[in-house]
Amino acid sequence: MLLLPLLTLLALPFCQALISKEQAQAELTKLAAANNGVINVDDHTYELLTLPNREWSSTIIFTAMDPRRKCGPCKSFQPTFDAVAKAWTKVSPEHRNQHFFAYANFEDAMAVFSKVGVQSAPLVYIYPAIEGPHKPASGRTTPLSYDFSGGFDAEPFAQYISRHTPAPIPYSPPVDWMKYATIGATILLATTALRVIAPLLKSRWIWAIGTTLTILTMTGGYMFVRIREMPYSGGDGQWIAGGYQNQFGQETQVVAMIYGLLSAAFLMLTMVAPYQTSPRRQQWQVWLWSGVIFIMFSVLVSLFRVKNRGYPFKLLI
Amino acid sequence: MATKAYTLPTNVAPETVANIRSLVRIVSLALISAAAISSRLFAVVNFESIIHEFDPWFNYRATKLLAAKGFYEFWNWFDPTAWYPLGRVVGGTIYPGLMATSGVIYNVLHALNLPVDIRNICVLLAPGFSALTAWSTYMFTKELKDESAGLLAAAFIGIVPGYISRSVAGSYDNEAIAIFLLMFTFYCWIKALKTGSAFFGTLAALFYFYMVAAWGGYAFITNMIPLHALALILMGRFSSRLYVAYSSWYAIGTLASMQVPFVGFQPVRTSEHMAALGVFGLLQIIAFAELVRSHVSSKQFQTLLYASVVAMGLVGFFGIVGLTYKGWIAPWTGRFYSLWDTGYAKKYIPIIASVSEHQPTAWPSFFMDLHMLIFLFPAGVIMCFSKLRDEHIFVIIYSVVASYFAGVMVRLMLTLTPVVCVAAAVALSSLLDTYIDPTEPVPEEIEPTEAEATPQDPAKKSKKAAPAGNPTSLGEYFSRFTGNTNKPRGIFGINNRLIVLFNTFGMLVFFVIHCTWVTSNAYSSPSVVLASTGADGNPHIIDDFREAYYWLRQNTPEDAVVMSWWDYGYQIAGMANRTTLVDNNTWNNTHIATVGKAMSSSEEVAYPILKKHDVDYILIIFGGLLGYSGDDINKFLWMVRIAQGVWPDEIQEPNYFTKQGEYRVDDRAPDTMKNSLMYKMSYYRFNELFGGQQAMDRVRGQQMPKQGPTLDYLDEAFTSENWIVRIYQVRKEDILGRDLKIANAFEQGRKRKKTKPPVRRRALA
Repeated sequence: MLLLPLLTLLALPFCQALISKEQAQAELTKLAAANNGVINVDDHTYELLTLPNREWSSTIIFTAMDPRRKCGPCKSFQPTFDAVAKAWTKVSPEHRNQHFFAYANFEDAMAVFSKVGVQSAPLVYIYPAIEGPHKPASGRTTPLSYDFSGGFDAEPFAQYISRHTPAPIPYSPPVDWMKYATIGATILLATTALRVIAPLLKSRWIWAIGTTLTILTMTGGYMFVRIREMPYSGGDGQWIAGGYQNQFGQETQVVAMIYGLLSAAFLMLTMVAPYQTSPRRQQWQVWLWSGVIFIMFSVLVSLFRVKNRGYPFKLLI
Repeated sequence: MATKAYTLPTNVAPETVANIRSLVRIVSLALISAAAISSRLFAVVNFESIIHEFDPWFNYRATKLLAAKGFYEFWNWFDPTAWYPLGRVVGGTIYPGLMATSGVIYNVLHALNLPVDIRNICVLLAPGFSALTAWSTYMFTKELKDESAGLLAAAFIGIVPGYISRSVAGSYDNEAIAIFLLMFTFYCWIKALKTGSAFFGTLAALFYFYMVAAWGGYAFITNMIPLHALALILMGRFSSRLYVAYSSWYAIGTLASMQVPFVGFQPVRTSEHMAALGVFGLLQIIAFAELVRSHVSSKQFQTLLYASVVAMGLVGFFGIVGLTYKGWIAPWTGRFYSLWDTGYAKKYIPIIASVSEHQPTAWPSFFMDLHMLIFLFPAGVIMCFSKLRDEHIFVIIYSVVASYFAGVMVRLMLTLTPVVCVAAAVALSSLLDTYIDPTEPVPEEIEPTEAEATPQDPAKKSKKAAPAGNPTSLGEYFSRFTGNTNKPRGIFGINNRLIVLFNTFGMLVFFVIHCTWVTSNAYSSPSVVLASTGADGNPHIIDDFREAYYWLRQNTPEDAVVMSWWDYGYQIAGMANRTTLVDNNTWNNTHIATVGKAMSSSEEVAYPILKKHDVDYILIIFGGLLGYSGDDINKFLWMVRIAQGVWPDEIQEPNYFTKQGEYRVDDRAPDTMKNSLMYKMSYYRFNELFGGQQAMDRVRGQQMPKQGPTLDYLDEAFTSENWIVRIYQVRKEDILGRDLKIANAFEQGRKRKKTKPPVRRRALA
């Protein structure tokens, strides 16, 4: 068992071409079958995968999974890669053995990394076949890199790789049982509790609170934070993002709170203060809420001045 | 008779008071209209009477044709100069409402022997309609509360930047008239619902038709009204008024909207319109059930009836779902779908995602556009909850839906603005009503002194102070909110009133100052003409765009084809009158991607593409000299991205970044970037400007390489004064049949050794 790799290793320095195509393909097939369709890359397997007269293509991921490397994207992409590689094992053998998925971890394959010249991880290279029936029509021989700008999702990745494999990858997203279970449980709970929550649903003030909270979060820029995937706050304790068309998650909360407080102050002046029967208490309330409006509005304007440097107006601060 | 905080003259007849009230109302509305119009004229005063931006140039061009040749010619207009070589059927692919409106105004004025230029009508259409918007907002708010709230709402919408941003003089776009139509349709709907009048329902339908003819955003009305109707049904507020209003609106409105060629059969074939159809069906079923119920007494039968209504509703719902599944009803189009699934556009339709007004909105934009209205808005919505008539439910639904949409897309701030103005006006006018009213309440009891201890924290105070009045139970506390208490309400003393009124007045003044500042500084630039201020404070006009377009107009053959990125298509057609490959009507992704590919490939690859499309000139925008950040190098990544969507093997975005993932144009820029046509055209001969010194790109803030790019397949034809617009001519093929690169090298006296052998070898093989 150990003899064969050893022999090939010995043969390597002399002449690479000595490795026959068929031999290499057989070995790769075996390696892939042994590990859920993913070949672990080291110096030797890399030579095999990228044999200059290869008839097969391969997808190699260069990644840094060691916790010391602190590569977040590597970790989030790896499950996708594994799932697609696993899906590839389900195609018929004559196709399956024409394309290989391989995994190169920085710690295990430093030489390969420096040879390929990998500067950042994760990186996915697709090595096309050089000879044989699966040679790309464009005659391209250099590897192609996968563009991560579409995100780390498995479906677009499988779709992209499928263009370079002899057969499309039969990838289908796993059924999200958790999601269905949650939805089902919620519906079940809601129907059973309908009798209990019916008065709540009929109460206009429950709806009023919900509506107001929705409006406040939306006008606080919540959708911006979600769509742009902005962090909650900046790295160095900074919670205000620089720039006019930019914001952090925490800003949404602060701004929504200021809006809410100002709104509440107006409501208090209009809907609570006039119902006071004592002049003294009413006066306190009027003073208080007018003060709150003035101060909070000043805070809001000064916050806006931080975001929009050219804004010329200010109140108190 | 209760005591008064201040005395009013008592010797005035009630009729006089009523007359003066209506006079003041009319005068106020007139003043509001004047303010709305004049605050939109900054652009004309600071620059000149000119059409702004991009899309308005097409609308202007179409209107000119309509005014010159008449409606029939306009309707059948096929424009061969757009989307070369495909052409564009203009009549069937636009919303003609805007052009028709200007055409009618033009013809009326000319019939009255007022020879007004069509350009001036187009420039001033948006400010004119903003006055109408103020009036329709007044009518709408009047239905919600009263005339004084209506006047406040009209004043707000007249000057609020969120609406001004799309309706300054010169921004001749669909939105200019659409917001008026939106508000007036909603007003008619509310009125129809309140009175149960088929007349107002029909009026709503007619204005809905006008809206459909004017703006793609009509889908907002198409879904808002059914949503309102559905909410009313679910709340058990079905009435014959609702039935009459909705049925008349839907039947007439839908039939009318199908007359617009661009809409056609969409109202029965696409998902965007299915809610309206579904609610229409549901209303018929419910109305029938109500009718039967009023005639049949048996209890069991009524239960049966109830069950059958639910069953029929479900059958209808699943019928629509099934038809969608089968493909009879088109699913949501990408533009609408991307509002729900916010990641959708970026993944599948990069053209939509690339438009700056389709970006999500950060909170400073909300504050900039709405100022103090943004926090009066929730207060107004709560007040709607305390009344909760049918029309208040409409405002509540509108406010939730619109604030979500405005958060997802900057552009939809425009639909949020009216409801914010209405709600804020309701809140502020309730406040003013309370504090202006001179009636003094009668104090009931002497208060214990506990209120003197004011806690520092206002939030704590609010909790403590609110329930601290007379009522002790929660129910009484709530009843106070809902307004059905019998306790005397009012404000004690003149100084309480003055504090609040002074505070409010100050805020209103601040609002006006803010709006004026924002309008004059942020929203009044035509973007065709740029302005800057010199070191001595004098304004400096940068007119490169028009300079370049007029150069094209006068120095190129009339049938010359100009390639540019799609942003400038309408302007080239409108100002230079030349054929373009792509323009702002982004309907053909592949064609745009072709342009993107040509721009992002090397010269050798791009040249065949240019030749195949008969391109004679290439126009690019370059801001590196002046620091104009909206230039093509900054938009370049979108060209790459869109091209990549169609040719993923040939164009790849990462190749345009450095190894470190930076976007650079200096020495460290990757070769793909340096060899791309866009890069070469932008920086061609840029070095020569700086004498011997190193050139500096002022937008990117980067030092350019010592050796500038060279061009073999293009000739520089024109560069504008400040280098913002650069035009290149595509070279004719070499007379001797050589590759242009080799021919160029030969002329420069270089030996051919370097390039020749590979060519010959390839030729032999």
